[in-house]
Amino acid sequence: MARVLVIEDDAQTASEIDAALSDYGHQVDLAGNGRDGLLKAVTGSYDVIVLDRMMPGGLDGLAVLSTLRTAGTTTPVLILSALSAVDERVRGLRAGGDDYLAKPFDFIELTARLDALLRRRDAAPAVTGFQLANLEMDLLTHTVRRAGQTIDLLPREFRLLEYLFRNAGQVLTRTMVFEAVWDYRSDERSNVIDVHINRLRKKIDPDGTAPLIHTLRGSGYVFRVPD
Amino acid sequence: MSSVSPTKWWQAAPGGPTALLHGLRRAASFRMALLFLALYGLISLLLFAFLYVQISAYALGRIDDWLARERNGLMRDGIAELHARVDFHARLDPDNVRPFGLYDAQGRHLAGTFPGPLPPLARDGRAVSMAVQDGRRELRAAAFALENGQTLLLSQDLHEFKEFDEVLVRALASAAALALLLGMTGAAIIGRGSVRRLDAITRAIEAIVSGDLSQRLPQRPAQGANDDVDRLVIVVNGMLDNLERLMREVKGVCDGIAHDLRTPLARLLAGLERAQRRAGSAADYHEAVQAAIGETLSLLATFNAMLRISEVEDGIRRAGFTNVDLAAVLDDVIEFYEPSGEEKHLAIDYARPADLRLPLRGEASLLFEAFGNLLDNAIKFTPDGGRIAVRLWRDDAGYAIDIEDTGPGIPAAEREAVFRRFHRSEASRHLPGNGLGLSLVAAVARLHGFSIAIADSQAGCRIELRLPMSPNTSVPERMPAP
Repeated sequence: MARVLVIEDDAQTASEIDAALSDYGHQVDLAGNGRDGLLKAVTGSYDVIVLDRMMPGGLDGLAVLSTLRTAGTTTPVLILSALSAVDERVRGLRAGGDDYLAKPFDFIELTARLDALLRRRDAAPAVTGFQLANLEMDLLTHTVRRAGQTIDLLPREFRLLEYLFRNAGQVLTRTMVFEAVWDYRSDERSNVIDVHINRLRKKIDPDGTAPLIHTLRGSGYVFRVPD
Repeated sequence: MSSVSPTKWWQAAPGGPTALLHGLRRAASFRMALLFLALYGLISLLLFAFLYVQISAYALGRIDDWLARERNGLMRDGIAELHARVDFHARLDPDNVRPFGLYDAQGRHLAGTFPGPLPPLARDGRAVSMAVQDGRRELRAAAFALENGQTLLLSQDLHEFKEFDEVLVRALASAAALALLLGMTGAAIIGRGSVRRLDAITRAIEAIVSGDLSQRLPQRPAQGANDDVDRLVIVVNGMLDNLERLMREVKGVCDGIAHDLRTPLARLLAGLERAQRRAGSAADYHEAVQAAIGETLSLLATFNAMLRISEVEDGIRRAGFTNVDLAAVLDDVIEFYEPSGEEKHLAIDYARPADLRLPLRGEASLLFEAFGNLLDNAIKFTPDGGRIAVRLWRDDAGYAIDIEDTGPGIPAAEREAVFRRFHRSEASRHLPGNGLGLSLVAAVARLHGFSIAIADSQAGCRIELRLPMSPNTSVPERMPAP
């Protein structure tokens, strides 16, 4: 699937990440310090880089990142950090990171976010509407139809559905949905998202139709045509 | 710190006179008293010396006066009678206490009992002290030149004067000794008083050091207790009150951690052991692993929540502050939780002036989470069919947000405690949660300059948040310090 470079000084964490991403189907390369990581990142061709923010020695995560960006490498980078403070996140993103994940994290969170980064890479062209099975969404007229029937959605439900469409087929965690649709960041696992998803589900998957929003055991959703 | 010593520096010297003396020497007030005593002694010495000089000069002056008067008396009847009068005087003075003498121009003895030859005195009548008879006697003598060339020598033995002098010196010395003794005693009493007080304070501190945080430094009754040590004692006792409260809080947090983390860990262990004992199929194992993951996640969530509360309390988060309109955040919170409320058939009344903005420096995500927690609690605790009212308004005092529900409410006795970490009321023990929600809310409120309190309400719980403002500006009065 994708070639992932993991730059992480802690051997155990690195091998856990390696195992999880390999299970998920990615091809993983490990680098144990900033210097090796930088070398591999510049010479190898990776689809995405997982970078530990705190590393001992001369080059820490942010230094690696800014060197990479200065060198013109545009590979998307996900920063891992034990620091969850907001300014840390801001600094990470400002230094050229594409996403930020605080330790400890669920692996589904990591893989889902990596998928999102990989998808963003092959940027979708400007679209005016989506279609999945017999569900249609028109971004210009702001209308949604299922099997030709118009469905009334609240503004937030419309945004939620648009986000699902844009990431159709991908695993989306509750946190990702919350951050993308509500624009706040949350460290707390909240089940309130489920309530919103259920409401949307009731509207777009009325009885008798094949459901399009699927809940994954664990903490995520997938928006796709059922098998 | 690492030196091994039988008595620590703060320990009072054990009893016994030497120890007291030792303690006394260290007492600042005693040393001060001694210093004043030395100064006083010096001044007394000068005073006594002055007195002595004055009094002896006066006594000598009286002798000199007497000599002058006696000469006038002798001369009254003329020089011719002088010889007889000098001899007559000698007869009246058998002890020869006041020896007179008459000498001719060549210094030969004519009359009188003055011991020895005519001493080489200036004959101008000025009295001088002189030793005679090889220094065995001391006389005060004056020599007068007569018209016929003779010399009249008048003198008085200084023995009496010496005696008087001795008595004077003895009296002054004993007065000085007495004053010194009294001063010493006074200094010792003052010093001993302060040594006793310091000992009492030291004992109290020792008790505190050995773990009894309820001990306080001995404080004298309020009236008349306002010296330096009293003020220090009051300040230190205030500090101890604070320390004790903080220690209690820390202990509460530790107990909370121990208690709240033990339960999920025990469940985790029990689940894993059960799987080991009887799980037969892969599906059984899968389920056990899933349950274990669930428990571990909730443990992690608790730790994360604790870390975040500390972060917020430390104010680290201020670095991420931006301009936020809290009214808009509150709108989003209401919108986010409305479906959850509807599922429980709760009516959520949200009232705010349509054009009201609540601009402040803050972190939108934290504010969202805090108000979300409050609304989440209201939804959790209000029974089906109940009502939740959220109101935001502005008055002269500033901004106000009230969140009121028709749930069981919080007893007045618990209204402070619910903001403490891990506090869970009896009513909420059976509900999911880690007892950290309101602690986070309180920390976020404080970080953004809000006061938060739980108020009386006819039914249920009412939480009041207030952001004070000065009336003429739209800037919060208590802006969080940078």
